[in-house]
Amino acid sequence: MGTSRGTSIAGLGMTELGRVYGRSPRRLAADAVRLAAADAGLALGDLDGLLVSHGMGGSPGIELAGTLGLRDLRLLSQVNAFGATAGAMVSYAASAVLSGTATTVACVFADAPLKPKQSAGSAYNRDAREWYGFGGMTAALGLRSVNSYYALAAQRHMARYGTTSEQLGAIAVATREWASRNPLAQMRDPITLADHQNSRWVSEPLHLLDCCLVSNGAIAVIVTSDDRARDLARPPVHLWGWGQGHPGHRKERGSEFGLTTGAASSGATAMKMAGITPSDVDVCELYDCYTYTVLVSLEDYGFCAKGEGGAFAASGALGPGGSLPTNTGGGQLSAYYMWGMTPLSEAVIQARGDGGERQAPSSDVILVSGNGGILDHHSTLIVSPHRKGA
Amino acid sequence: MEIGVLRRDGRTDPFFDGTASDRLVIKRCEACDRWFAPDAAGCPECGEEDLGWAQASGAATLVTWTVLPKDPPAFLALVELAEGPWLHARLDGAARADLREGLPLGVAFEHPDEGESYILFRPWTE
Repeated sequence: MGTSRGTSIAGLGMTELGRVYGRSPRRLAADAVRLAAADAGLALGDLDGLLVSHGMGGSPGIELAGTLGLRDLRLLSQVNAFGATAGAMVSYAASAVLSGTATTVACVFADAPLKPKQSAGSAYNRDAREWYGFGGMTAALGLRSVNSYYALAAQRHMARYGTTSEQLGAIAVATREWASRNPLAQMRDPITLADHQNSRWVSEPLHLLDCCLVSNGAIAVIVTSDDRARDLARPPVHLWGWGQGHPGHRKERGSEFGLTTGAASSGATAMKMAGITPSDVDVCELYDCYTYTVLVSLEDYGFCAKGEGGAFAASGALGPGGSLPTNTGGGQLSAYYMWGMTPLSEAVIQARGDGGERQAPSSDVILVSGNGGILDHHSTLIVSPHRKGA
Repeated sequence: MEIGVLRRDGRTDPFFDGTASDRLVIKRCEACDRWFAPDAAGCPECGEEDLGWAQASGAATLVTWTVLPKDPPAFLALVELAEGPWLHARLDGAARADLREGLPLGVAFEHPDEGESYILFRPWTE
């Protein structure tokens, strides 16, 4: 067998996720890297690269290398593209392996925004008696939560294309149906469309069941060459393609805010590299901070026409038994919110065939998305249990 | 919903000087003939970092909106000023039935007892 120029994910490490208290984000990150290395059958000393990312708390950073006792690293950096970071980290790790910069790179995300006895929603909310400057005025007047910014985006899509709350609800219901089959999911009780419609408004047009969870925990993956991955403990999850898209929509006349996202360009880049089209994709693991994010990503990736994401979701395509199994672990809406590591971790599980009751009928080509800011940043990965072109 | 007290941050003083005297003052790049929000960091066309300030008409249209479940409900929005920039804003005097893309709006100035004056947007009526 000759050598190839491909890269793979060889290890996956996941700490307990959800209301997990008593461990700092740095400690959680260290635990996830250890778990990922063990999963791959590697010793920590086999790692020669580490890429680190964090949530809103600002930790961990590159000091994680010291925490883990890693020595003589050839690649060490903090990466931040908000919710697009996981896909970006994996692509940088793969590029480093292909260039010879490093051979075996751990990529980790950790966050612990939840505190004991605190509601999940309040973990990200802003409140104050005094506000400063023009930006402070915007917050003072009521725009204090990311929920409201995504609500503005979703409402624009609804007004322009006739997208409905019930269509968003179809995404919430399908995602929960997947979660009910995932022992790792935080929310496993099935929901109906009526449950979605009756859940309280967070910021119209978004109901509570349109919004993701908040979770503590950490997830890491190990990226290495196909040739090395082949000799490790678990079947390689091959990286076929990657891309990013940062549309830079200006807040001014003519802006496409809320209508199109960076999924369009990042998806095109990743699919071209992978040599596939949307019709080749068996499973989607999409960044679902909100149901609406799934809907607009499906359109921008080309799984349906622009403006038809609502009808596509309502057709039943996304749930178990559907034509495009999407967020098969329950996503961020129902399973766990580890930013871009939520869709990536489930993609690895599906590619390995480890999905148990939720294993998709076919998982030869899996698309993974990341979305950051208010639809400002996007990343895409195409992964497969098979070598590209094999 | 409690709006709280607004203070200056030293970077947008002309905006608050304007609201105090019922004028909407935003940033403008004279060279490019383009208008920007009061917190714009520079002109993305020519790179000018020291944008000037100029008075906008106060006419706007509704781009998109969200309603917060408060008592009474808070109507929040993205509005497009006649000069082109979008502002995150709060609507006053709007009903759900009014809300549509392109709804004409006009700026209104509020002068609280404490803190800086601020702006709201109201459905435009002749």
